[in-house]
Amino acid sequence: MIIDSIKDEFRQIVGDEWFLDTPEDLVVYSYDGFLPEFKPSGVIVPGDRDEISKIMGVANREKINIIPRGAGTNICGSSVAREGGIIIAFHRLNKILEIDRESMCAVVQPGVVNADLQKAVAGYGLMYPPDPASMFVSTIGGNVALNAGGPRGVKYGVTRDYLLGLEVVLPSGEVINTGGKALKNASGYDLTRLMCGSEGTLGILTEIIIRLVPLAPARATLQAIYSDLDDAATTVSAIIGSGIVPATLELIDRTVLDVISDYGGARFSKEAEALLLIEVDGEESLVEAQGKRIEEFCKERGAVQVERASTPEEAEKLWQARRTAFGAVASLRPNCIVEDATVPVKMLPAMIRKIVEITKKYDLKIGVLAHAGDGNLHPLIMTDLRDREEMARIDKAMEELYETAIGMGGTLSGEHGIGIAKDRFMGMEFNEASIELMRGIKRVFDPNNILNPGSFL
Amino acid sequence: MRNYEIRVGNLFLREPYGGKKMIPKNIADEFDQCIKCGLCLATCPVGKELFLEKFTPRGKIQLAKHYAAGDLEISQHYRDIFAKCLLCGACSVTCPSGVELKEVLVGMREEIVKKRGIHPNLESAIKSLFVNHNISDEENNERGDWRDDINELPDHMYERELAEVVYFVGCVSSFFPMVQSIPQNMARILEAADVDFTILSGEEWCCGFPLIGAGAPEKMGELIEHNIEQVKGLGASKMVFSCPSCYRTWKEYYKTDLELFHSTQFIQRLIKDGDVPMGELHQTVTYHDPCDLGRNGGIFDAPREVLRSIPGLTLVELENNRAQSICCGGGGNLEIADPDLSASVARNKIEEIQRTGAKTLVTSCQQCVRTIKGKVRIEKVDLDVLDITDVVVRAMSDA
Ligand SMILES: Cc1cc2nc3c(=O)[nH]c(=O)nc-3n(C[C@H](O)[C@H](O)[C@H](O)COP(=O)(O)OP(=O)(O)OC[C@H]3O[C@@H](n4cnc5c(N)ncnc54)[C@H](O)[C@@H]3O)c2cc1C
Ligand code: SF4
Ligand code: SF4
Ligand code: SF4
Repeated sequence: MIIDSIKDEFRQIVGDEWFLDTPEDLVVYSYDGFLPEFKPSGVIVPGDRDEISKIMGVANREKINIIPRGAGTNICGSSVAREGGIIIAFHRLNKILEIDRESMCAVVQPGVVNADLQKAVAGYGLMYPPDPASMFVSTIGGNVALNAGGPRGVKYGVTRDYLLGLEVVLPSGEVINTGGKALKNASGYDLTRLMCGSEGTLGILTEIIIRLVPLAPARATLQAIYSDLDDAATTVSAIIGSGIVPATLELIDRTVLDVISDYGGARFSKEAEALLLIEVDGEESLVEAQGKRIEEFCKERGAVQVERASTPEEAEKLWQARRTAFGAVASLRPNCIVEDATVPVKMLPAMIRKIVEITKKYDLKIGVLAHAGDGNLHPLIMTDLRDREEMARIDKAMEELYETAIGMGGTLSGEHGIGIAKDRFMGMEFNEASIELMRGIKRVFDPNNILNPGSFL
Repeated sequence: MRNYEIRVGNLFLREPYGGKKMIPKNIADEFDQCIKCGLCLATCPVGKELFLEKFTPRGKIQLAKHYAAGDLEISQHYRDIFAKCLLCGACSVTCPSGVELKEVLVGMREEIVKKRGIHPNLESAIKSLFVNHNISDEENNERGDWRDDINELPDHMYERELAEVVYFVGCVSSFFPMVQSIPQNMARILEAADVDFTILSGEEWCCGFPLIGAGAPEKMGELIEHNIEQVKGLGASKMVFSCPSCYRTWKEYYKTDLELFHSTQFIQRLIKDGDVPMGELHQTVTYHDPCDLGRNGGIFDAPREVLRSIPGLTLVELENNRAQSICCGGGGNLEIADPDLSASVARNKIEEIQRTGAKTLVTSCQQCVRTIKGKVRIEKVDLDVLDITDVVVRAMSDA
């Protein structure tokens, strides 16, 4: 509980309208895409950096937890008041401050929606590559705090690779600036990248400088259809191993295809056991040549058929349908566990075989979806939480899955983060010394542990 | 240390609905289906404008769920939140998890009326609906006044004892001068094609559609009975509606064997059969899919076919077309509950229209015409807003 006089202090900072504590407001800021609910004591919606700084000053003095929240689409439970406190929401900080064509960068506020940025920079012939499936809703602040990735990661990398600088309000209320518009920077510790993926536990991002790249003049989207999942997986590692770098290389299995194939008028092949959704981009002639090579590659490795989307609209429909895969699969049974284990790409076929094996061994229903080109798997485990016996089997299956992934040189999470979803598995990936070091970093930034407490540490 | 109930991996938990059954089970089922992915935020015109989570479809599902579970009351605030919705259905088609959001949103409005009565801003409109049998303040025998401007009006004034087709005009086009051209056009088109049709004139009562959005569908009975009764003795086999909402209301709430057509479908047929001569019209237009006709009624092609059948006319699509069409701001009684919000949504729509470069917008709903044209006039935007029947009549004149 937070006493009224402190609430009043918050109200004075942002204005009555932007401090919310009605029962209705509290209930709608109690969840994120992970679903367990934690009701906050209030929601504050600041209008600028100075207000945020003042808010943190009060919170630090009174030891009140503050939990940053973008669009609340994360699926690891990292934007909810896990240990109580006040949600700070960035709805009003939604401006693109600058698009600097000469320096190929943009300066944005944290609440800008990824797709809005994409659209704005496309008008300048530029592209912001990270494209999480949640891009039409998730914010750049949330993307940075979770180091979001997306299908284009194969060729272009993830959020971290496009981060040039930040303005950050520390838990004490002090403001720091990290990095800048320069593409290179070798001064001091890399605080910019430390903030990236910090799950809102170290500071509040108030301005973000991101790098842009030229918009590819041409692109082609192909779907390669397989009657065998293993053939599709080996094609992936073969393509990457051969030095061709497609912009995206997604793998979708039968189970997932069944539920997304008709979304929004998309036309996916209905016969496939597995499908690779591949996009190549670049100069027209290169796209042509690469498209052909990939087509041959797929056919040599067992693809029954390779189809090319004939118009950009048709291609966009396929991608749009792909983006709905989580939700669509989740509608099949009461619950759906989205896995995010990631392995080096040459291990992909082995990892997929392992998933198939685990599915059988523990008698589960799992759909396979993967940002295959960078080894990032999203097995979708369909279940019913109320079925305790099945949940126990899932628990074992996941442990085996992580052990395998980490044993292959992979990680617990490619892009979804740890939060409260996987905190108990941290010990598998990090030894005690590493975790203690992270705790130390947290203490330096946030001695009172008021910023998004209850995370993976 | 921390003790979270759910500790099993990266998980979409859908808590089983455990609430007291305060609202019907079929709606409650939808809560469990929502995985809070937030994708519906991307298409909700209200959420985009007001951005606080309570105004988004995801937030409203949560509010409904917690009301059902018994831990939220229907406060004044709660009611205002649910009134800020266009019932446009954009959220429902976006949801990958198949949540029937519109069912929940309409269902909650009913629940709210049960607990707190009709929304104060709607009260007088609903009252006059039962006194006048239309949504205006005027008496229902003025329903046919749109005929006053027609030259060479036939003696029967389109009121016949027997007819093959009944044209149901709808309140808005009957009473609001800005859109009275729609029934005038319809009469011209039907006459030109020699269609044996009649109108109900003063005996046409509101179809009851406003009551659905107001959360009081149980009050529709009287209106439905009356309208059905009026149509019965006419020997008609078909009905035509220029109002998409009337059309849908008849389809979904009226039990009738008559063949029901929206005007775009009917006109498309007439054109195809060569019954309406089409002249050239050299113009670039864009087309707005009305929510109730397109997304909620499934009619996307008929209006486009009609436009394509006009030689010389070029159709450029809006960025968000067909099922993705964005509401004009005129739905869900929002115009009455929160006129400013409705106007903001309309402004966004106009901006989208302007990005096509077309100087003419065509739609096929009187309510969309009113909302968009109203805003265009206030802001002095260089845009011609037409109903599809306006375009057809123009093309006919050149034939
Ligand atoms: C359907 C669906 C598809 C998805 N697809 C992908 C995908 O392809 N790739 C991927 O990587 N992820 C994906 N995600 C996960 C999620 O969308 C991303 O993690 C996204 O980056 C979260 O952004 P958000 O704006 O919703 O942030 P939130 O979920 O609100 O917050 C995420 C984290 O960021 C912190 N945060 C937010 N704003 C700030 C700020 N200004 N300062 C400091 N900390 C802040 C929060 O405290 C929290 O820890 C998907 C989720 C869904 C529901
Ligand atoms: S899109 Fe569907 S599942 Fe996702 S938050 Fe909205 S209603 Fe819930
Ligand atoms: S019906 Fe329309 S306005 Fe209402 S919540 Fe859904 S998208 Fe938003
Ligand atoms: S739906 Fe049709 S009849 Fe009903 S109020 Fe609207 S215009 Fe009138």
